[in-house]
Amino acid sequence: MDFGLVITNAITLACIYGTLAIGLSITWSSLGLVNMAYGFIFALSGYGAWLASLYISSSAPVIFAAGILTGALGGIVVCLCAFIPIHDKPSFPIRGLTAALAISLAGNELLMWIFGPRAKSLPQLFGFWKVNIFGVVVTSDKAGTVVSALFLLTLVLLWMRSSRRGLEIRAMMMNPHAASIVGIGVRSTSIYVMIMTGGLAGLAAVVLAQTYWISPFSGITPMIKGLSIALVGGLGSVPGAVAGALLLGVNEALTAALLGGQYVLITQFLLIILILILRPRGIAGILDRAREA
Amino acid sequence: MSETAPIWIDPLGDYETKVDARSAPTNAFLPPQVPWDETTSFKAKLHRIGRLRYYYKWPGHGSRLWWRTRYWPTRRRVLDIRGEYNRKTSRREKTIVDKRPIWWAMAFALFAVLPFILPQDTWNTVLTAAALMCIYGSINLAWMLIIGTAGIFSLASYAVVGAAAYATTYAAIQLGLPWWSLPLLGSVIGLVFGVVIALPALKLDGLYYALLTLGIVELCRVYVIQSGELGSATGGLFGAPSYVPDWLSPPLRQMTLYYASFALMIIALFVYRFVDGKRLGRLLKMAPEKKEAFAEACGIDFYRARINVFLISSTFLGFTGGFYAIHFGGASPNLFSFDTVLLSLSMLVIGGIGRSEGAVLGTVIVVFIDRVMIGIGPLRYVLIGAIMLGVVLFLRGGIFGIKTQFRIWRAKKQSENRSSRAEKGGEMLPEEATETDNKDEIYRRRFDKAQRDFLKCLVTDTVIEEHRTRPLGQHSEALERLLIYFRGQTQVDKYAIMVLEDFKAYRIVGLSGRRGTPPRVVEDRTYPNANEAYHALFLRRVQDLMES
Repeated sequence: MDFGLVITNAITLACIYGTLAIGLSITWSSLGLVNMAYGFIFALSGYGAWLASLYISSSAPVIFAAGILTGALGGIVVCLCAFIPIHDKPSFPIRGLTAALAISLAGNELLMWIFGPRAKSLPQLFGFWKVNIFGVVVTSDKAGTVVSALFLLTLVLLWMRSSRRGLEIRAMMMNPHAASIVGIGVRSTSIYVMIMTGGLAGLAAVVLAQTYWISPFSGITPMIKGLSIALVGGLGSVPGAVAGALLLGVNEALTAALLGGQYVLITQFLLIILILILRPRGIAGILDRAREA
Repeated sequence: MSETAPIWIDPLGDYETKVDARSAPTNAFLPPQVPWDETTSFKAKLHRIGRLRYYYKWPGHGSRLWWRTRYWPTRRRVLDIRGEYNRKTSRREKTIVDKRPIWWAMAFALFAVLPFILPQDTWNTVLTAAALMCIYGSINLAWMLIIGTAGIFSLASYAVVGAAAYATTYAAIQLGLPWWSLPLLGSVIGLVFGVVIALPALKLDGLYYALLTLGIVELCRVYVIQSGELGSATGGLFGAPSYVPDWLSPPLRQMTLYYASFALMIIALFVYRFVDGKRLGRLLKMAPEKKEAFAEACGIDFYRARINVFLISSTFLGFTGGFYAIHFGGASPNLFSFDTVLLSLSMLVIGGIGRSEGAVLGTVIVVFIDRVMIGIGPLRYVLIGAIMLGVVLFLRGGIFGIKTQFRIWRAKKQSENRSSRAEKGGEMLPEEATETDNKDEIYRRRFDKAQRDFLKCLVTDTVIEEHRTRPLGQHSEALERLLIYFRGQTQVDKYAIMVLEDFKAYRIVGLSGRRGTPPRVVEDRTYPNANEAYHALFLRRVQDLMES
């Protein structure tokens, strides 16, 4: 058992799933919407990047930009369909969840209809090289994944911390009602949030396509993993999502090394259930600070 | 007073004397038809009075005794019929308040004769789809109990069904169990599985639980796909005994499969009815979302009720899983796929959460699109997703909530119209009119309004000047009409002139209309002679008329 390989794998996957989890977390805490169409946005941006690599150019910046832009577009679509019409209607959380699920159902099948069931692959964006860090061999795609995910996440978090829009989004995360009272437009802010989280999904899709394929239903499993991480970390908390990603990544690596690959999901869900029973709002979601559903 | 004002000449003037007959300038003649047309044509809309009859009114039972059919062990009636007395037609009539039993009976009859009205060459598609629809329908009914009655947003129903199907198939292969034991074994497995996944539901909030159960389904799927013992290589675990005897011909086999599934759905409907409509369901209807604290204060242990409903429905889901195994001869990982959960959820949402007919109708619609319209390929899922999205965005309670939602919308529109109608003008509002027993009153008020509309047109400076110069005696037609209307008013608050001192001081008072109660003083002004007082009183009445 090569521990180095396991650990680098775990960190890479944790970066990708953590990106998704942060996107889901931000959406939930600012809009109160569990974005179940995230898997669809993920697959959509994968196809966007693939189309760009086919018809525009196969250089890395173009593909990244195409993936992120398509993801943002998908976010806008979800926002227009599942958030803006019903966000002020009764029993919005469940209805929003159902609407997002409906978009996911229709969208995935639409992708299937347009692109067919055959998987597509993206060109290698990070080249072919290897680096030996303390005896652990890190391949180019892993290093590129970690660096690009961390770069974009840092960018997003800095933007949220320092810009006016970020201030609005943080106000919505604290208390959406009070935010709307002090003059922050719920609908316009929701568009920004969905553009941002859609872009994160696009990035995750592009970097995950370095190791896996793009297919119409490729977004479901990453979304469910992202949701699990967000659950463990506490929906609505960025540090919690990071901690959850690390925890589940370590768990995955350890289980795969000690018990075998088929037990990964079992230990993962036992861990999630244990954490949720101990702390119903996740690691970081302290009860009084979390958003009321 | 204009030059062209016509001159009125007193027709009762004395012809014998040489004195000219009394004359005064007056209004041009105004036929009452003119203001009538004006007011009725566009100014004041005359509203149709009363309510529409939304229900068909059956005739009363006359001199016969009222005959009611009841279910045998209970005193419950087959149809909820309300008898009422119609005051307008003075007849008895009957209304069927709840027509759902009729629809159910028709649907059951249709399902029962379905194989016989279909041509035999469509049996392969349609009967298979109908059997599948019945199985999905029973799963959905049990799931509806969890989501609708218990209010637990669980997505793990298919995990229970699939786990029971896999476990019973595995047990049947290993131990050689007979087919009839599989659903029973499945119920036990479902109960155990239900206990396991009900534990977090005690602690977690709605959405957290939904996401967790979604994860559990995914866990089951991945486990089943990876496990060699559960048939990862063959795409499912097959080899469970079938309940259809081998010696039946293929058409008879299909009929047996269909009727067995139909029986399963009827069992599911009974389970739904006896959980949702009896004690547990009543308890939980007392504790809807956001009213839990109130229910708890009333002494309802709704946690316990929810968990009970969850366990009962998990047991039934396990039963359905066992039935699935003996129906299809095994289990496949498709049961756990995200798409199956989504499709099933779309059935519930389209039909309407919280009602059994919603679960059944949603299943019919979705299974029809999914299995019968197979020619359009993946687009049929897009269609299902679009329907589901439309239902979520525009309807509150699915297809079966349309009626309620439409009524709420109509009531809202009615009250908006009512409040925006500025000119009521003494006419009765439709709602007021239906509550009034004496229907003459409606027409009296309508006539009175039309008359006042006409009289308002007669009030001009000429007429007032005529009255000022000569309050008593014969007047022109316009003034005379006004005065006659004023005289005909009721005694309550009618203006009168009180003599404070003969030929010196007069005052206007309002009569109380009740014997023994003195008139009230309207204004503290006194008038030096009777004519001035008459005119002031006339002006007051004119003012009241114009303001009405």
